[in-house]
Amino acid sequence: MAAMAKVTEELALVERFRRGDDSAFEEIVEQHAAEVAALANRLLGWPGDVDDVVQEVFVAAFLGLKKFRGESSLRTWLFTITINKCRSYRFRRLRRLRSVAIEEAAALESRDRSGEKAVLDQEALARARRAIRVLPQKYREIVVLRYLQGLEVSEICELLGITDNATQVRLNRARKRLKEQLGDLLEE
Amino acid sequence: MNEERIEQLFAKADEAAGEPTFRCITTAGIRRQVHRRRLVRVAAPTCIAAVVAIAATWLAISMHTARPQPQRIVSLEEQVKQLQARTDATLKLVQELLERDRQDRRLAALETELASIPDPLQEIDRQVDKTAFILVYQADKLYKELNQTESAVAAYKEVIQLFPTNQWANVARERLSEIEQRRINKSDGQKGEPKWEPRNT
Repeated sequence: MAAMAKVTEELALVERFRRGDDSAFEEIVEQHAAEVAALANRLLGWPGDVDDVVQEVFVAAFLGLKKFRGESSLRTWLFTITINKCRSYRFRRLRRLRSVAIEEAAALESRDRSGEKAVLDQEALARARRAIRVLPQKYREIVVLRYLQGLEVSEICELLGITDNATQVRLNRARKRLKEQLGDLLEE
Repeated sequence: MNEERIEQLFAKADEAAGEPTFRCITTAGIRRQVHRRRLVRVAAPTCIAAVVAIAATWLAISMHTARPQPQRIVSLEEQVKQLQARTDATLKLVQELLERDRQDRRLAALETELASIPDPLQEIDRQVDKTAFILVYQADKLYKELNQTESAVAAYKEVIQLFPTNQWANVARERLSEIEQRRINKSDGQKGEPKWEPRNT
């Protein structure tokens, strides 16, 4: 019932937007901007500043909202847009991100010599983020959506447009790769 | 490696990375961006097309109005003059050759015509010979067919007188001696006419 009420509420917002009520769009932004930003931040490898992608996502949502048919929730719809925008954004800035990854790896190497506990924790977390960041796109998206966004497999299937089986296969392969890189951290 | 451990590790890693930052999103701002994008989408191709059109026009005008340099004009005029002079010389040579050929052909025709004209001295000799023959022939007719011996003798003598060196003068002499011989034979009482054939010319 709660889900039904939510869908009805979202459709009402969309209908208000269709009739020219800008406040409806601002409500949608207010409800979903943080989640969209968090997802973009994770998919792009935690760059911190995700303003460009978030702006692009909501511009695309603004242009496409009139065609929204309510077949999925607004959140799922916005997440789909976010994933697509992150793909193109990451593709455009691949070289820059690679250089960032190399710099961060070099920084990690230099920190290995410090030996302090807090620093070691930070290094482990940075290693975890780096492990996700260097995963191939199809595995990275699955890992982010499953473990960081906490989405169910069915939602992931809907978002990525793949079957349940394909999702499981990708998830297992992603886990295997993560284990290769983070085995010591995951077995503690 | 269990799911919980992965989730915990990644949650901590995500938390440690901090919250993402982004500007406040307003409908007005979105509209401005949409408007700007539409403008760029229309303006960019329009500007490119305008620049291309202007460049093409400028290029066409510059090519149309481009004038050759004065030095080049002088050089070209010089070349034209040289070509003109060379052409005139060649034309003159051709005319001379044609004239010479025409003269040669005329000379050959005249020589051919001259060659066809008979020698006048030979012609005179031929006419003299013919006249002498006719006189001898007439005299023979008078003598043989008409029996006018005196007239024939006069005619033979005329031939000898007029054409003394001609062959027919000799024939006339033979006739006269023959007539004389007959007269002698007649007078001697001997008969027998000698057979006589005029010489065929």
